[in-house]
Amino acid sequence: MKKICALFLSFTLVACATNPNGTKMKVSEEESKLEVYNRAMFNFNYQVDKKVLKPIAKGYKAITTQGIRNRVTNFFNNLEEPASAINNLLQGELVGSGQSVARFAINTTLGLLGTFDVASGWGLEKKSNSFDATMAKYCVPDGPFFIMPILGPSTPRYLVGWGVDAFADPMYWALLDKQDEDWAVIATYGSTALKYINKRAENMALLDSLEEGSVDFYATIKSAFLQNRQKFQSICAAPVEDKTSAASYDFDFEDEE
Amino acid sequence: MKKICSLFFMAGLLFSFKASAIDAGQAESFIKKVTNEGIEQIVNSDVSITEKDARFEKLFNEYFDLDYIAKFVLGRYWKTSTDKQRAEFISVYCDFNTKTWSKRFDEFKGKSFNFVGTTPSNSEGQIFVNTTVDMGQGENPAKVVWRVKDGQSFKIVDIIIENVSLAITARNEYTAYIKQAPNGVDDLIKDLKQKSK
Repeated sequence: MKKICALFLSFTLVACATNPNGTKMKVSEEESKLEVYNRAMFNFNYQVDKKVLKPIAKGYKAITTQGIRNRVTNFFNNLEEPASAINNLLQGELVGSGQSVARFAINTTLGLLGTFDVASGWGLEKKSNSFDATMAKYCVPDGPFFIMPILGPSTPRYLVGWGVDAFADPMYWALLDKQDEDWAVIATYGSTALKYINKRAENMALLDSLEEGSVDFYATIKSAFLQNRQKFQSICAAPVEDKTSAASYDFDFEDEE
Repeated sequence: MKKICSLFFMAGLLFSFKASAIDAGQAESFIKKVTNEGIEQIVNSDVSITEKDARFEKLFNEYFDLDYIAKFVLGRYWKTSTDKQRAEFISVYCDFNTKTWSKRFDEFKGKSFNFVGTTPSNSEGQIFVNTTVDMGQGENPAKVVWRVKDGQSFKIVDIIIENVSLAITARNEYTAYIKQAPNGVDDLIKDLKQKSK
């Protein structure tokens, strides 16, 4: 279950292209071209995953225990707290922002660099937020979906949000002025690699079962990714009504792409 | 003004009719029963995989409206399919789902569902039962919404995990597949049969 959510929320190997709202629309020539590109890039990413990332993640899984992987996941989740604090603030969520600050302070110290989530035990639940959501809140359009090489599913807004949030990563600031030292370079690339290998390892079973259970893996990932992003529509100050959102779609058997 | 008032009144009537078309409490009890059975008798039990699959198949056939779901996921191609294709698709779709979901249900091991109310649906005789699943320390709880249809008995027609509807995902996947396949629906049936083995 955790893996299902992790996949829909954060897995970034594969991506998709269709109109951003998933609404009924005539497929234009540009969209068809984008679709062709996306399928090709999806296949490329898939091969990279199959030949490189997945075997490494398998090896990583073999030499680590679930407990170790949980510590790694917690460590990287903790590094996202400053971004959550800033974005909660930008969205006027003052309590959420304070909570993220408190969580970061507690978990970084008492939680041994974030590897243990002490704050949750004290009733300070995680209040994740992102710059992607902040832009959505101020009704910045999502733009067309496309597949990024290696990074996977994306939209222009998603990509900008991801890039901006990276600036709030404490690891980035800690190593910023030390990039002429070898250890700092190794730490930068090593931690990024560990983050994605750990994520891939934790999603192994789910991705295998999703692939096994689909006849068009690209279309499955595309659909899931698009539907998940619909949650942002409701936070925009002037939400656009969209009948395809999971909570309101009709089971009416009408034509639908 | 009078017209506006009567419009509101009509809208209110319509809403209350739709909301009362299906009993929220009963729908919630139904989902409680399904999740309890699924978790206690299948996911958390120590029986063999074959036995788990058999139990899952029974649960699936009993509580899910598979004909209805199969019709929905075929989308616009349902209309253009022959009766033979439709029957074949429904049959193979059921087999295929039993097989894939039996495995996927294991993800719920050691978890429990919290019931957090219901939401009315635009479709007549249907309702959403909202649940959350605790994901452990430091994780936000996952949202799992069950779409329930009332007919002769309650049936599940969709599960929406973190905003992702399984029925819509399947529909998007199958229509994309059929569009590209040289023999359309027949290719899909063949492929699903192959994967169900």
